Amino acid sequence: MRRLQARHYTFLGLAVVITVTMLLNIRLDTRVSPYTRALHDYIESLPPGSVLMVSFDHEASSLPEIRPIARSVLRHAFRKGHRLIGVSLLAEGTLIGYRLMQETAAEYGRQYGSDYVYLGFRPQYIAAILAMGESIRDTYPRDYLGRPYDQFELLRSVENYDDVAAVLSIADGSLTTHWMEYGQARYGVVVLGAVTAAMATTYDPYLASAQMHAMMAGLRGAAEYEKLIGIGGGGARGMLAQSSAHLYVILLIVLGNVAYFVRRREGRRD
Amino acid sequence: MARKFPLAVCFLFGVVMFLQYFSQHEAARAVNQAILDYWQIVFAFTLILGVFSFARNNVTEVRRGRDRVYRIVGLAGLLSMPVLALIWGIKADTPFMWMFENVQAPMQSTVFALLAIFVASASFRGFRARSLPAAVLLISATVMLLSRSNIGGFFSDVLPDVANWIRDYPSMAARRAILIGIGLGSLTTSLRVMVGIERTWLGGEK
Repeated sequence: MRRLQARHYTFLGLAVVITVTMLLNIRLDTRVSPYTRALHDYIESLPPGSVLMVSFDHEASSLPEIRPIARSVLRHAFRKGHRLIGVSLLAEGTLIGYRLMQETAAEYGRQYGSDYVYLGFRPQYIAAILAMGESIRDTYPRDYLGRPYDQFELLRSVENYDDVAAVLSIADGSLTTHWMEYGQARYGVVVLGAVTAAMATTYDPYLASAQMHAMMAGLRGAAEYEKLIGIGGGGARGMLAQSSAHLYVILLIVLGNVAYFVRRREGRRD
Repeated sequence: MARKFPLAVCFLFGVVMFLQYFSQHEAARAVNQAILDYWQIVFAFTLILGVFSFARNNVTEVRRGRDRVYRIVGLAGLLSMPVLALIWGIKADTPFMWMFENVQAPMQSTVFALLAIFVASASFRGFRARSLPAAVLLISATVMLLSRSNIGGFFSDVLPDVANWIRDYPSMAARRAILIGIGLGSLTTSLRVMVGIERTWLGGEK
């Protein structure tokens, strides 16, 4: 058997730290950031029955982070009585979005067709965003399960972005940028973001310039949103793992730097 | 002719799409909608092309005996998902959905989660304060890591505000510069393609 090296111990340490923290199930308080609060307040401010388009612009790989983000904001929207239209501009997000909308709608007793509809995937996201600005009906003649657009009570009054209060892009990449560059800039639709933590700084300039109206980011954002709506979920629990992993990484950085400076001093002495 | 015709089509569509962007006239919107429809259809065909290319490449390599097991698993995945969808549909609680939720999603999440392992290893072995810029980067990263966990406020109430300041000013300034650079680059590349200076999309000069 090969001998374990320093890096193997760091891997093992990470696994132990995350597992133990999750088992302990410690409750930590989360301070709500102004970014997350802005998204919450916007959805809260819309009159009940407003039509929101939710775009699942992510892949399956980011599901552990995307699920709590999406669930928290979908719960809020359904609880407020908003009507949701689900779309997906990445093929892998299609099934996830369908499942997430279905599960969350069931929690609040919302009906498919009148309270929410899932339209599914369209290839080439730029073309799809632009085409929906002209006509959502022409872009999606049928819903995800193949039923005609006009069959649904919710969709009969929705022609294009003019009939949608906002588009919420749930993304793990740069797809939200296209919603702003084509949906917001060309058709003036309000764009909201619910993105993974790694993408937060990408969207900060758009947030500052008001091209993006509001944004929540990462597990931290999900935990903050859960606190705002008063419903516990995967965000708060995921934050335990994330917080312990962050502490562990900081510890490794400190240890690595101490070792580096000690070695450098010894080198100078020699 | 083989080169001039695609270049003319490219120029024509580039100019039409550029001009219609600024028009709300019915005719302009109709042209826009028609082109967008065709764009999606062309893209759908490229997906089919990708599937055939993947299948042909892997079948050839299986015959040659290179990475046979991996390639067979890949081909099985490529074939099984559409077959399951065609037989049982894509609704909830179908075999297609089961495969997606219990095979594809966990596998992809697992691969993505390996990033945490690399970050842990890199933080120990490579993240050193060798110079002043490196030290600034290291301190900023530590502040951000603490602020993005629930324990930031435990050390200091000011820490989340410092992290937000880093995000709102130095980080955003750098990001803006990058975005402006990308924008200008996209603009010049588009113009080069439209007027035929940039021709690599035609398959290169011969």
